[in-house]
Amino acid sequence: MSISARLKYSFMKDIGAPALMSLKDLKPRRARAVSKAFGPPLQSNKRLKEILSRHYFLARYAPGAKQVAWVTSGAPVELLRTFDFYTIYPENHSALIGAKKQGADYCAIAESAGFSQDLCSYARIDLGHLLSGKTPAGKLPKPDLLFCSNNICQTVLYWYKAIAQELNIPLIHFDAPFVAIEQSQHDVRYMAQQLQDMIPILEQVSGKVFDLKQFEIILKRSQNSSMTWGRVLECMQSKPAPMTIFDAFGHLAPVVSLRGLPVAQDYYNILLEEVEDRVTKGIGAITNERYRLIWDNIAVWYKVRFLATFFAERNMNFVTATYTNAWAETTGFLDVKDPWSSMAKTYGQIILNNNLKHRLGLMKKMIRNFSVDGMVMHSTRSCKPYSVGQFDLRKALSTELNLPAVILDADIADERVWSEQQIQTRLEAFCETLEDTSLV
Amino acid sequence: MIIPNRSEYLKQQARNGQKIMGVLPALYPRELLWAFDILPAEIWDPPGDILQANAHLQTTICPVVKQGLEFILKDPEIVTAGYLFPHTCDSLQNLATQVKDLIGISAPVYTFYNPKGAFRQATRNYYQDVLRELQTTLEQLHGPCDPEKLQTACQLGFKIDTRWNELQKAWMSDQLPVTNQEYFGLMRALEYMQPADYLELLDQVTVQDQTVIRNDTRLLVSGILPPDIETLSFLDELKVRIVADDLLAGSRRIPIVCMDPPYDPMEHLTDRFFMLPPCSTRANSLAERSHYLKTLIAKSDAQGVLFNIVKFCEPELFDHQFLVKSLKSAGLPLLNLETELQPGLSGQTKTRIEAFIEMLDDQVTA
Repeated sequence: MSISARLKYSFMKDIGAPALMSLKDLKPRRARAVSKAFGPPLQSNKRLKEILSRHYFLARYAPGAKQVAWVTSGAPVELLRTFDFYTIYPENHSALIGAKKQGADYCAIAESAGFSQDLCSYARIDLGHLLSGKTPAGKLPKPDLLFCSNNICQTVLYWYKAIAQELNIPLIHFDAPFVAIEQSQHDVRYMAQQLQDMIPILEQVSGKVFDLKQFEIILKRSQNSSMTWGRVLECMQSKPAPMTIFDAFGHLAPVVSLRGLPVAQDYYNILLEEVEDRVTKGIGAITNERYRLIWDNIAVWYKVRFLATFFAERNMNFVTATYTNAWAETTGFLDVKDPWSSMAKTYGQIILNNNLKHRLGLMKKMIRNFSVDGMVMHSTRSCKPYSVGQFDLRKALSTELNLPAVILDADIADERVWSEQQIQTRLEAFCETLEDTSLV
Repeated sequence: MIIPNRSEYLKQQARNGQKIMGVLPALYPRELLWAFDILPAEIWDPPGDILQANAHLQTTICPVVKQGLEFILKDPEIVTAGYLFPHTCDSLQNLATQVKDLIGISAPVYTFYNPKGAFRQATRNYYQDVLRELQTTLEQLHGPCDPEKLQTACQLGFKIDTRWNELQKAWMSDQLPVTNQEYFGLMRALEYMQPADYLELLDQVTVQDQTVIRNDTRLLVSGILPPDIETLSFLDELKVRIVADDLLAGSRRIPIVCMDPPYDPMEHLTDRFFMLPPCSTRANSLAERSHYLKTLIAKSDAQGVLFNIVKFCEPELFDHQFLVKSLKSAGLPLLNLETELQPGLSGQTKTRIEAFIEMLDDQVTA
C-alpha cells in the first residue's frame, strides 16, 4: 500500500466525495413525469443515492490505499471488513447496469468473447464489464481478491472462477451445503472451519493481522443493519404500506453492499424513522391501496418503473417480497459470542440455500402477515435456484390459500428477453382475476 | 461382448426382487448403495418425449433435469428403493426438493452433498460426515450396514476403477479393438449393472498385446454425456475414433490415478472422491481443467476436441469459454455440438462433423 494512495483516498473520502455530492445537488435535473397513483416519494431516496454514488466514486481511489475485493451478495463479508478490504459487489453493479437498460450491450460483449447467451445475465454483464472496462459508475477498480459463496447459487462460483482465471488473482470460496432437510451439525462445523481457515489467506493478501475485537464489532453492526432493514420491511404490514417493494429493491443496496459498515447502519436508522413516521401519519406509497401483492424472485431491473406504475395505477401495491426479505431473514442467528458457528447458521440457511418446503412456509407466513391478496412470480432465466420449483410453489399457494397468481417469464438484467405485449396481457388478466376474486 | 439392454436388464433385476434406486447425475458413493444390496440405476437421458415435466419446469432448464423429472413422474415400477439426488448443480439441487417437498412422490427421496471448490482437510472431513449421514439414512429403511459388505463393495468398485484405467490406456494406445459405440456402451453399462456382472462384462473385452495399426482420425470428447448413438455410429462410419474422454458420465468419474486397494471403506470412498479428475460440477479451477485436458490430448494423441454441450448446462457452459480459448491458443482444432438429448442426427450436424474431420485429415496430410 502506498502512502500517497492512502492520503489521496483519505482526502477523497473526507473532503472530495462530500464536496462532489454537494455539487451534484446543485446540478439541475430533468423532472420525471410520475403517475398520480403514487404517494409522496421517500425523502431517504436522496440519501440513498448519495451513499451509493459515494461508494462507487471512492472505489476508484481504493487501489493502492486498500485491498479491493469483489464479493457475492451472500458471502460473509464481515470477515473481509475486519481486514479493511474495499468491497465491490458485481451483482449490484450488474443490477445497476440492468436498471439503466444497458444490460444487453454488456451481455453482447461477453457473448462475443464466447460466453453462452444461456448463462446468468448478471455474470455476462460483469464479464462484459471486465473485458471492456465499460461501466456507468465511472471506473471500477480491479480486484486483488475474489470472495464468493454458493449459498445463493453455484453460478457465482463458476462466474468467479472465470474472473480469477482472467485476472490471475486468488479466489476464496465459502462452500455452503444446501439445506435439503435441515442444517446438520456437521454442515455448521464445516462452514465454521472454512471461515477460520480463511484467516491466514486474508492476512497474507491484506498484510494485516486478524483482530477478533474488531471482527465482533463488525458482526454486531452487520446484525443491527440487517435487523433494522427487517424492521423497515415489517412496516409494510401497515395499511396503506408506507413504501412499495419497488422502493425496497433500491433501498436494499446498502444492506447488500455496505453491510457491516457504519454508513449502512446509519442509513437504515434514517429510513426506519421515515417509514415509521409515514405509518403514523397514514401516508401510503400509492394513493389508493386496494390490493396488496407479494413479489417472488429478483427484480426485473430494466422494468422496475414500468411494473411499479402498471400496478400502482390499478391500485395494487407490492408490500412484500421473498427477495428483499433475504437479507433480514436469518440475521437472528448471528451471535458475537459464537461468531463462527453463528455465521454458518446465518449464511447457510438463507432462502436460496434452503429447501422449497422452507420457502413455501416462509411465503405463507409473509402472505398472512402482510395481508396479501395476490402474487407475482418472476421466472427469471438467469437464476435457477430461484426459478426451479416456482411452478409448483405457485400451485401450492394458489390451491391452499386461494391466492391469485401470475408467473412472468423474463430476466433480471438482459432486456432482450422482455416481451412487453405478452407480459402486459398476462398482467392484465391477472389484475382482472384479482378484482373478480375480491368481489366474490 | 454383448452389453445388456438397460431397460431389459433392470426389469429382470426387478423381477428377481432386486431393490433398485433411481440416481440422478452425477457423483455419489455407489459402493454404499451396493453394500445395502441396492442397485443404482442412473438417470441421465432416459428416452421419450418430455410431456409432464413441462408443467413443472421452465423451458430454459437443461434437458438432463427435465428428462430426469419426466422419468420420475412416470413412477416406473422398477424403482423400488426411491431416488438419490447427488448435489451436482443448481437445477438438480432444486429438483430434489421440488420432487420431495412440492410434487410429493411416494418413493423416498435422498440427497447427497458433494463439497465444492477448495479441497482442504475440512472438506475431506465434511465429505466423510456426509457419507456417514447417507449411511445412517439408508439404515433407517434398509437395516444396519454390514461392514463386510461395504468392504466387498469397495473392493468391487476398486476392481472396476482399476480395469477402467487399463482399458482407457489400451484405448488410447490402439490396443482395444472396439468401436466408439461399443466403448461408450461399455462405459455407460455401469450406470445400471450389478458390479459383479459389470466386471464380467469388462473381462470379455480383450486388450491386444500390440498396437493395432489404425489410420483413424483421433478425437477427444468433452462434456456431460457422450454423443448419442447415431453420432457415435456416424463417427465409426467416418473412421473417427474418440480416443479419450472428459465426460461427466465417463472418465470424470474414474479416479485420475490407480488407487491403493481399499483398507478402510470410508477412507477409501473419500480418497476416491478427491482423486477424480477436474470437473465443472466440483468447481475445480479453470487452469486445472485446461491442464488436465491438454495432458489427456497429448497422452491420447488426439487431433482435435469435440465439445458435446448439453443445452442450458451452466457448469459446463461457464468452463467451456475458457477451455475453448485455451485449447485454440494451443492450436487444437475444436468442434462444438449442442444437444437437447433428442435422438437423431440432423443433416446439418452431419455436415459440420464431416467438414471438421476433413479439416483434421487435411492437417495430417499437410
